[in-house]
Amino acid sequence: MRTTIASRVGLAVIALLAGFAASAQEGKQIYEQKCAMCHATGLAGAPRPGNAADWAPRLKAGKAVVYRNAVQGTPRGMPPKGGNADLAESSLRAAVDYMIGGATVVTKPAVPKLPEPPIARAPVPEAAAQKPPAQPPVAPAAPVVAAAAAAPVAVASATRVATASAANAPEPGSGAAESNAFNRLLKPIGRRNLPPAEDGIHDSSVDGTLQLQPPLSAFSSMPRSNAGNRVDWVKALAEKKIAPRWERDKADAAATVMDLNIVREVKGSMPDVVYPHKQHTEWLDCSNCHPAIFAPQKGANQMSMAAILLGQGCGTCHGRVAFPVSECRLCHSKKKDAAASTAASSAGQGK
Amino acid sequence: MQRTFARPGKWIALAITLLAAALAAGVQDAGAEYGDVVMNTYSTPAGMRPVVFPHWFHRVRFRCKVCHGDLGFKFQAGGNQINMLKIIDGQFCGACHDGGVAWSVENCNLCHSGAPGTPTQVHESTIQKLVAPGQPQAAAGAKK
Repeated sequence: MRTTIASRVGLAVIALLAGFAASAQEGKQIYEQKCAMCHATGLAGAPRPGNAADWAPRLKAGKAVVYRNAVQGTPRGMPPKGGNADLAESSLRAAVDYMIGGATVVTKPAVPKLPEPPIARAPVPEAAAQKPPAQPPVAPAAPVVAAAAAAPVAVASATRVATASAANAPEPGSGAAESNAFNRLLKPIGRRNLPPAEDGIHDSSVDGTLQLQPPLSAFSSMPRSNAGNRVDWVKALAEKKIAPRWERDKADAAATVMDLNIVREVKGSMPDVVYPHKQHTEWLDCSNCHPAIFAPQKGANQMSMAAILLGQGCGTCHGRVAFPVSECRLCHSKKKDAAASTAASSAGQGK
Repeated sequence: MQRTFARPGKWIALAITLLAAALAAGVQDAGAEYGDVVMNTYSTPAGMRPVVFPHWFHRVRFRCKVCHGDLGFKFQAGGNQINMLKIIDGQFCGACHDGGVAWSVENCNLCHSGAPGTPTQVHESTIQKLVAPGQPQAAAGAKK
């Protein structure tokens, strides 16, 4: 009797899986392509796949609400459709299912040790989600999970037997994916130029925060760059995309521009630095830099990248508001004349 | 400002140490805009939220020279000792935020909109990224 029930349950699960296998696979795929960027590491509080603690509070309101939040976005940082406007809602739901699917497996104390293929895990939640509290930890869970694995990946159960004893085996989809996430430390595209209410330093409960202009609304018409605000400010000014005032209360006062390039020969193999007065005097007054930051005399200012990194010299602005030092070639832009640089360095110059 | 670059080795060593500390401690993931300045010299002790100054917003509308030249803002977060009396008196922010060039001081929450207790800092600055999270950022952001 017991065995028949067990086998029926098993069959039912297999049938269910056959139906869901396609969407589960899709969910995994979508997750890895679109969602993992934030969700794998839990960036800015994004719920991580396979992390029950992350998902439990969100699932309290029901799965429909989770789906809706995925589509519409949340003020806590989830962009609408994760920033992929062209994603079909069914695909989005499959990805959500895939991520929640991991959570239910982790809630069961016996299972996390088993390296379970993510494909098998995804469809389980519907069946298992209601049960976990009632389930005794190991015994009844085992046949269900075994059956689950059997359908989509025949090899999986064999693999499990082989690796079941390895207690510390990493869980694919959560542990492994997190540590090997692509561009792990970079700010993903969806997290750049956030509106004030979501940027992490504003208090989103204040009315003032909500009245402030979101950066993207200003930047969308401006030329792009690869660092800082991701705006090329010099180009924006040159192309008249913006018209910043030169005088506080006069809209039409013209800047006093000085066109003089200073070439600084540098040690080592980097190209020499060309300092353009023109681009700087479009924005700044002579007195902003001279004489406090730079003595107005060629060769009088010693510089090093280390000092600039720490906010000295060029680092007063570059690395704070102007483009940061990651953009090496914007300054180191003059190819060295090989013969001249050899002579210079042997003569003990080259500052 | 003093330029003491006589011993570049010292600076390089310091930079490497800071970089190592940053890598060991991980990188912060707040999403604020590059160059946003949080000013919290007087706000928190006075029971106000800190001020967030969006550099990008002002840069769209004014050249650097207007504030950093004409109005006397130093290139230093926390280095200007701005308070409401000076602003109402027409100094610093008050040169424009007077109801003339820009909206005036009764819109408290437009400036004082920072998350409570956020320390003075230049957000996303290189030096902020070099210093391990958890260390006083006021010092890092304010240091020249």
